Order: sequence, then C-alpha cells, then structure tokens
Amino acid sequence: MNEFSILYGFLNISLVLLVSPLFMTVIKKVKARVQERSGPQFLQGYYNLAKLFRKETLYSDYSSFISRIAPYASISILLVAALQVPLIWVPSQELVTGNIIVFLYLLVAGRFLLALLGLDSASTFGGMGSSREMSLSAIIEPVTVVVFAALAYVMGSLSIPEIFRNATLQFPAFSPTILLLSISFFILILVETGRIPVDNPETHLELTMVHEGMLLDTSGRNLALFELGHAVKQTLLMAFLLNVLLPVGMVLDVSVSALLIGGFLFLIKGLGLCLVIGLFESSLAKMRFFQIPNLFMIAFFLSILTIFVEVML
Amino acid sequence: MMPDVVRICLVLVLVSSAFLLSSRSLSNLVKNYQYQSVLLVLIATGLAVIEDRPLLFLIAALTLASKVFGLPAFIRMIQERMRIQQDIRFSYLHPTGALMVSIGIILLVYVCFARILHTLYAHNSLFFLGSVIGVSMVLMGLLAVCTRKMAITKVIGYLSMENGVLLFGLFVTELPFIIEFVIMVDLIILVLLTTLLTVGIDSSIEEYKVRLQKFHLWTEEEGAQ
Repeated sequence: MNEFSILYGFLNISLVLLVSPLFMTVIKKVKARVQERSGPQFLQGYYNLAKLFRKETLYSDYSSFISRIAPYASISILLVAALQVPLIWVPSQELVTGNIIVFLYLLVAGRFLLALLGLDSASTFGGMGSSREMSLSAIIEPVTVVVFAALAYVMGSLSIPEIFRNATLQFPAFSPTILLLSISFFILILVETGRIPVDNPETHLELTMVHEGMLLDTSGRNLALFELGHAVKQTLLMAFLLNVLLPVGMVLDVSVSALLIGGFLFLIKGLGLCLVIGLFESSLAKMRFFQIPNLFMIAFFLSILTIFVEVML
Repeated sequence: MMPDVVRICLVLVLVSSAFLLSSRSLSNLVKNYQYQSVLLVLIATGLAVIEDRPLLFLIAALTLASKVFGLPAFIRMIQERMRIQQDIRFSYLHPTGALMVSIGIILLVYVCFARILHTLYAHNSLFFLGSVIGVSMVLMGLLAVCTRKMAITKVIGYLSMENGVLLFGLFVTELPFIIEFVIMVDLIILVLLTTLLTVGIDSSIEEYKVRLQKFHLWTEEEGAQ
C-alpha cells in the first residue's frame, strides 16, 4: 500500500458518501415537481441522516445480535464495494485488488444481511419483505451477472478500473453495444435500488413494499446507516452507467485541478441521471409482483444481445 | 460516422421487436411499430448515403409515408373506434418466454448466416449484422403473431415481419422499387381486410352490416359506447 492507494481510497469513499444523499434527494425532488409539489430541499437527505444519527436506537425484544451488527456490516461491505468503483480517478495501476465478480458478491452480501435483518426482528412485515426480497433476488441475480458479463466482454476486462479506462479511451464510441449496455444498466439501477416499477421507496404502508418492509423495525443510527448504504449502492451503480456511457471528466493522470473538474463533472452527470430516473419513475406505475420478471427479462435480453452484437461486429 | 449510426439503428430495431413481444398496451405497440419504421427510414437513408444508391431514398420516403404515418394512424383509428386498450392475453408463450425464444432465434440465425454469408461479407460486418437482424425480426414478428391473441396485435406482428423483410432486402438482396411498392399496397390491404374480418368473422352477412355500424368504422361518428 502506498500513498496513492490511501489517496484513492479516501477520495472515492469521501465522494460517494458526500454525493449519495444528494442524489437520493434530487430524485425525490424531481418526482415531487412532476406531481406539482415543491418537494424536499436539496440538503434534506443530509438533515434526515443527521437527525437519525442523533436519535435513540431501539431493538425488538426478539432481535438477536444480527440486528446489532447488520447495519455496520452492511455499510462496511458497501464502502469496500465503493473502493472497487473509481468515480472520478482511474489509477494507472491496480491500487485496490478486486474485480466485477468481487463487486457483485459484495452487493449480494449486503442484500443477504438486509434480508436477515428483516427476519431477525420477528415482525410480520419484516419477514414478508425478506421473503419478497429473496424471491426477487433469485430472479435478478442471474440477470445482474449477465449484464456485468456483457460489460466485461465488451470492454475486454473484468477489472473495473480497466473497464473505465477503456471506456474513457474509446469515448466517443458511437457503439450500439454501449447503448444496449446503458439500457440494461438503467433497468438494473431501478431493480437493485428498489425503485418504481419494481418497488416504491416512498411508502411504508402498502402491503406491496419490499425494501422498506425489511427496515420497518429499524430505528435511529441503524436506520441512518441502512439509508446511507442504500444511497451508496445507488451511486455505485449509477457510476457504472455514467462512466461507461459518458466517461467525460474521468481522470487518468492525477492532479488537483483534474480531480476538481472530474468531481464537478461527475456531480453534473449524476444529477442528470437522477433527473432521468425521477422522470422515468413518475411516468410509470408500480408493476404487479408477478409481472416484475418481465422487466428483468428485458435487461437479460438486451445483455445477451450486447454480446451477440459485439461478436457480429 | 454514418455506418456507426446505421449500426445503432439496426440494434434499436431489434430492441423494438423485443418490446413488441412484451408490451401489453396497444397504443404502446402502435407507437413501437412507428418508431421501428422511423428507424428503418434512417437505415435506408444511411445506406443510400454510404452506398450512393439514390433509389434507397425513394424506399425511405415510401416507408415514411406508409409505415410511419399511414398505417399507424389507421390502426389507431380502429383501436379508438373499437375501444381496445390492452392485449393481455397470450397463447403458448408469455412475454418472458417469448423473449427467451427470441434470444434462441437470434443465435440460430447468427449461426446459420455465419456459415452462409460470413465469407461473402467478411470485409463488411455492417451487411452481415443487417441481414442477421432482418431475418431475426421476421421470425420475432412471426412469434408475435403466434403468441398474441387479438387480431389487431397479430396485424402489428405481420407488419413487423414485413419490416424485417425490408431490412433483409436492404442489406442482402436488392429489392426492385416496384416490388417494395407492391408490398406496401399489400400491407394496407392486409390491415383493411383484417379490420373487416375482426369485426365480423363470426357473423352472417346480414349481421355483418349491423356490426360495422355498431363500431362506426366507416362513418365520422364517435365509436360505440
């Protein structure tokens, strides 16, 4: 480990923690504006987290040690995943060991912990949420793997920094495969972060909730950590889409000015994507649970098509 | 630059065929067909520029007039008069299964064409891609015809099949303009006949006129309540 590794880790984790709540709030704001409401302030996500961190943490009488360690383990796993995904600086050498496969396993581990947490409090809603989450996972995981496999095939590497470096060097690519991958990733973002039409992140009352159901018995600091982890996961998946489709501002040779410009451009790109997600969510209704596989299937189809087209070209 | 645009359009055409298999809303299906036809217009125009074949501009113009504006407007009119919003009934295969089958179809077509056409178009991957996507579209359109239950959706499947034929014609065989024109006329007749048959396929001649009047297909009045 050298000073570059420390700098890279510090930059990546700081940036992801800094922008993630903002991205979540911007999506809420866009949805509110579409519904002709004023929506939350742009800093509301940070205020909510600060408030939750100050609040007392309560545990169900039936909960075990899982409820106590799951929030910390979950955020730690996601921060390790954040180390694998360069947001603005793609170092010339591999500063962090890992690749797409490790990244996917980290995401799955986070999901597994969340499902355990839902079951641990022994409440009806938590168990139902966990059951639904695992049912969806069984279908979405193969699709996620195929989407990432298509990305690795098109970019010719399993290493995430290498993929981003290739995307930066090829930009602007005008490639149909990049376009197809972008659509697949967009669907993946909606599915993995539990957004409409898969789940509704705004509600805690409907019987249809999945992600929020598992968190119903979580409070205070633990809830804040899960909310933050959810936002971090969304930012990481967004980074994949942004840095492959539009790698403008990616820094290959590190300097202070390049990092500042890169950070600013990442923020702009991220806000643009949040706007698209917000508008997309507003234009659709939540799907019936048993119709959700159709959406996954489209991402699967497009990923397979990406591989075919790459072979044909 | 132009070959890249044509490649992107080709892939999007295939994506639109996939949406044709999975979409339930009829208005979305018609819109999807319209976008597919717009993409065909762009492909024909792009090819005309790349290959310097002015005849392809005529085919693009004909496609624009008939498939982008004419046929979708007519199908929309029928849909509004008959008050059909969705086609949620499927036979044999549901959208998920149909998409799986289409992956198999594309793979099969690719493998077959790799043996036949690859040497012919080894120097130009664009033509190979165009021909594979053209035939895949024909077969996916056929799949839509088989898996959809409503006649109006089946018609869109047929129209998508014809788009595949046109695409294949653009890239592999050079269809004479007159044949393309005659195909367009056939398509318009197909849509008209299907409309008539859909309204009264299970009726006697006497009842037929009553049914036509019920839906006000040939009058300017509002559709049936």
